[in-house]
Amino acid sequence: MELLFQVLVSGLLLGGLYALMALGLALVWGVLNIVNLSHGALIMLGAYVTYFLVTGAYIDPFAALPIAAAVLFAIGYLIQRGVLNLVIRGPMFNTLLITFGIEVVLTYLTQLWFSADFRTINPGYAGSNYTVGGITIPYVQVLVFVIAIGLTVAMWLLLLHTRTGRGIRAAAQNLVAARLYGVSPKSVYALTFGLGAALAGVAGGLYGTVSQINPYIGGPLTAKSFVIAIIGGLDNPLWVIVGGLFLGIIESLTALYIGSTYRDVASFGILVLILIVRPSGLLGRTT
Amino acid sequence: MKSTAWGIVLAVIVALLAALPWIGNTVLVQFGINVLLLATLAQGWNIIGGYTGYPSFGNSVFYGLGAYGVAIAMVQYHLPFWVGMLLGLGLGVVFAGLLGLAVLRLKGHYFAICTLGLALVMTAIVSNLEIAGSNIGLVLPLLRSEVLFYELALGLLVLATLTIFWLSRSRFGLGLIAIRENEEGAAVMGVNTTLYKVLAFMLSAAFTALAGGIYAYYITFIDPVGVFDIGLNVKMIIMAVFGGPGSVLGPVAGAFILSAISEVLATKVTSIASMFFGIVIVIAVMFMPRGIAHLVQHIRQMGWRYFIDNVRTHRL
Repeated sequence: MELLFQVLVSGLLLGGLYALMALGLALVWGVLNIVNLSHGALIMLGAYVTYFLVTGAYIDPFAALPIAAAVLFAIGYLIQRGVLNLVIRGPMFNTLLITFGIEVVLTYLTQLWFSADFRTINPGYAGSNYTVGGITIPYVQVLVFVIAIGLTVAMWLLLLHTRTGRGIRAAAQNLVAARLYGVSPKSVYALTFGLGAALAGVAGGLYGTVSQINPYIGGPLTAKSFVIAIIGGLDNPLWVIVGGLFLGIIESLTALYIGSTYRDVASFGILVLILIVRPSGLLGRTT
Repeated sequence: MKSTAWGIVLAVIVALLAALPWIGNTVLVQFGINVLLLATLAQGWNIIGGYTGYPSFGNSVFYGLGAYGVAIAMVQYHLPFWVGMLLGLGLGVVFAGLLGLAVLRLKGHYFAICTLGLALVMTAIVSNLEIAGSNIGLVLPLLRSEVLFYELALGLLVLATLTIFWLSRSRFGLGLIAIRENEEGAAVMGVNTTLYKVLAFMLSAAFTALAGGIYAYYITFIDPVGVFDIGLNVKMIIMAVFGGPGSVLGPVAGAFILSAISEVLATKVTSIASMFFGIVIVIAVMFMPRGIAHLVQHIRQMGWRYFIDNVRTHRL
């Protein structure tokens, strides 16, 4: 029983991070109608930026997160402005394919510069933990969870209550009307993609503190983000949190009862099942 | 008259390709086997992605099944190669049929990611199967006859291309194009869309699985990571898209051109070769999204404006 609780707690903590990973993908998808297959690669880049800030400049990983976010925001802004804005009115398959191409380029550039070695971001306090009623809760994972959930809620508030957020939501609902009210599509689109990339950057930095990183982690992370976006829908970041927690718990339970090699099988099995039963998403709308 | 001339030109090209093992050296033949198999994969993708308009990111699954069909038959049951090919073909086609019934109801993004997800988990599933040698893989008996594999691969590619030629002018193929252009419209006009889509997926899987089977016996060692390789999807899709999805010869041209360039790059600057396909995807989607087949038809009148026009029509 204690083992089950331990696994549930770990799954829940991991789920918070998953939610943050999926948030950027859901934002870009909802506003730009682009399913960004390079999202996982952006997460991977965020992890590498954090890693080099920690090992090169001896900054605490959590203090390095804003820098990772800023770097990734710039990369995302440039990708949208320089590449994606030029193809966005083409068929859906073209935008999907071009983000796939960007994914390949980012992955191999990373491999070229930083080699394919596994790396981990290990702060000095990595081993410390709380023990509550026989359940061990690692300090780092709690911090990751709190930051992830906090950022997701902050994103929600930003979309609801700021001028920029209203502009983004307006562009998502009706681009022509938004344009008439003074929203510039080019910059709003670039801003949205930049925000999505910045969220991926923070998620990547956090991911690096709890798991190993290498240039190839992007693909599966994109797919996981997609699973969560499908569960939670694209309307509301709060549903994305639910989706993330759900996936985290499912994965942990699968690892416990069936075997850790079946972890990904479970999450993609859920994806296929949900898509077949309810293609419009489980909790919110996805179309 | 014009089509007869084309037919003769193509027949001569195929005859020259068939004679290559006696003209060229071993390196060229080995390169040829890879190119021919990749071109077959691109043609397989062309059926479901190009003609039917369902962009599968998971065709590597069928390739892997075809390879494992041959490997399991030959290693575990000591059956001859052709029985293995039939087993691989059966596995691929049946799997495509069952899977197709489920996932071909999805459209656009959903279909693409669903197939991508499937390609990602296939490695994990096969790694846990004892009959498939778990995650260690299987070692096949060695047959030192590159010429045989070359001719087999060429034969398969010709078969795939003839099938697509038939598609381009048969009732079935026109039904698929109708589904791509407007699925509801096609259904209203009496096309059994579910049946057509599933059949197209199975046909696509058949060629992909056969290519996988040839590859397995040629390379003599397969493991889950190697044959259920996600990178293979990248290659087959970009070759088909670069060449011209929904055309008869475009994907073959795409496969030949891109393989040749990537081979040259690999010998000169190894590190850039793997990135090459990603760069090609980005540039091709921006400047020539309808592929070489469309490009050669229009470049003569439009010149450089062709590329600018493509950006102009799709940009924000």
